[in-house]
Amino acid sequence: MSNPRRRYRHHADLLVWGLAVILACILPTCAASADASWLAQPYRLGQGLYFPQQSLRVGGYADIHFYSLGQHPTALSVEDLSLFLSKDIGTHWKLFSETELGDALVIDSQHATTKDANIDVERLYADYHTSSGITLRFGKFLTPVGQWNLVHADPLVWTVSRPLTTTGSFSRHASGAMLYGTVSLKQNDLDYWLFADDSKAFAFTRSHNLAFTDYGASSTLRNDFQHAVGGQFLYHMLDDRLSLGASYVRYALKNPQQQYRLTGIDFGWSSRRVEFSGEGIWRTSDSPLIPDEYGGYVQAVIPLPRHLYAVGRYERYRNSLPNQWVTLRTFGIDYRPESGISFKLEYRDGNNNAALAPNGVLASIGVLF
Amino acid sequence: MPPLSTRWLAVLGVLVVAGTCARCAMAAQAGESKIAVIVSSRDHDVPAIDPGMLRNIYLKKVFVDPQGHAYIPVNLPPDSKLRQAFFRTAIGMSELRLQNYWNQQYFQGVSPPFVLGSEAAVVEFVAKTPGAIGYVEPCFVTADVSTVQLLTLPAAASFQSAGACPARATH
Repeated sequence: MSNPRRRYRHHADLLVWGLAVILACILPTCAASADASWLAQPYRLGQGLYFPQQSLRVGGYADIHFYSLGQHPTALSVEDLSLFLSKDIGTHWKLFSETELGDALVIDSQHATTKDANIDVERLYADYHTSSGITLRFGKFLTPVGQWNLVHADPLVWTVSRPLTTTGSFSRHASGAMLYGTVSLKQNDLDYWLFADDSKAFAFTRSHNLAFTDYGASSTLRNDFQHAVGGQFLYHMLDDRLSLGASYVRYALKNPQQQYRLTGIDFGWSSRRVEFSGEGIWRTSDSPLIPDEYGGYVQAVIPLPRHLYAVGRYERYRNSLPNQWVTLRTFGIDYRPESGISFKLEYRDGNNNAALAPNGVLASIGVLF
Repeated sequence: MPPLSTRWLAVLGVLVVAGTCARCAMAAQAGESKIAVIVSSRDHDVPAIDPGMLRNIYLKKVFVDPQGHAYIPVNLPPDSKLRQAFFRTAIGMSELRLQNYWNQQYFQGVSPPFVLGSEAAVVEFVAKTPGAIGYVEPCFVTADVSTVQLLTLPAAASFQSAGACPARATH
């Protein structure tokens, strides 16, 4: 076991098998701790289906996307079909997994295909609640940079398209350990996340983190972590109506193999009449050959009558490969007839954006179930 | 400025007295304007729960107490007036904001507190379950549970009691 590569592989195998065995064993048997006096809650969209005797919750989300962008063929895609499994073990442990079937069916004017379909374990982790305000997490989880990446499911965000700022310069997933929780600071809540990633050793799926995820994007740049360490703080004020966040990550990507430092800020402010949010990042590299990457977006959402919402977003992003400024303007409308269901229609245009997020119309139907 | 006449002083006095009485009448409904936050009487080492901690327990931001014992918050059904008053007062969120909050938490693998069907069920469950926390009208409190906080509702958040207090509560 002296070979480091073999040792890492061994660790990765242990992690996968450990989590898989725990998950498999607890599903049918080990969970009689739930008290019979709990009332079975009626099923509601967006809350999953709960099995009290097993302390198990099953749910997920699905979305269908429609694109008519630039020179690309108009297409309809069953974009995501995600399954959540969440299981409490005793009072301190919790397991969570998200398995996703992506691009299950793509239909354009020429044909319908399933050749792009892929199954991936998006998240798989165990949480251990140590004491008040401190939880340990082990496994594969979402990288805590900004708020969009942590809650990115289609039915929970306001636009079909995702800002470049939230994907362009860092891996959306990390594998390793995380410490997170909430503490009080001056009578307000401070959420924190501190993590260490060793994807080189622990990544157990072959999927890649594409830097630009939008339909029509011609860049296939990948942002897979090799290893990373960082964290994020989010301070809540005014009864959670205002939040201010900051994040920092130092990491190495698999390709191009360089060391990077990323600093991020984010905010959210909501009132009855309008909701504003935004994120900004700045990434530097140890190599003089790789230019800095930076940018940000600001988004406004205005509630309208009959469960309708008007959405506008402006984004500027300085990319490193290709080395250019991109500007994006997005205008859309959301219809949310009830919690967990979202219909979206949006128009996007911009400057220098053909390669990363081309102009056009996007629409989606998303359900959190 | 001319001095106030005796008649105006009398009118002013009547208004002040009337206003005071109105406040007295509202205060007389104090049984409907307070919420008792309860834990089991058997939980002798329950640490003090301040309003911020109560909020974080119900939002599932804090899962265990400083000694490592799990908190088990329990809720009343969504259509309960008491629940709505509790969440406006103790949590500072309307039902709609709360629903959005739980949708986001659900995506992160965190589920809302369990729901029990009535205040009597909450008292019974909390009394039997170490670590459980519930909220009821004060008249539902029995010797089996301890009140750790008594929330006084602002006028805007007060509610009409859904039913009579149980006879056993007068023990």
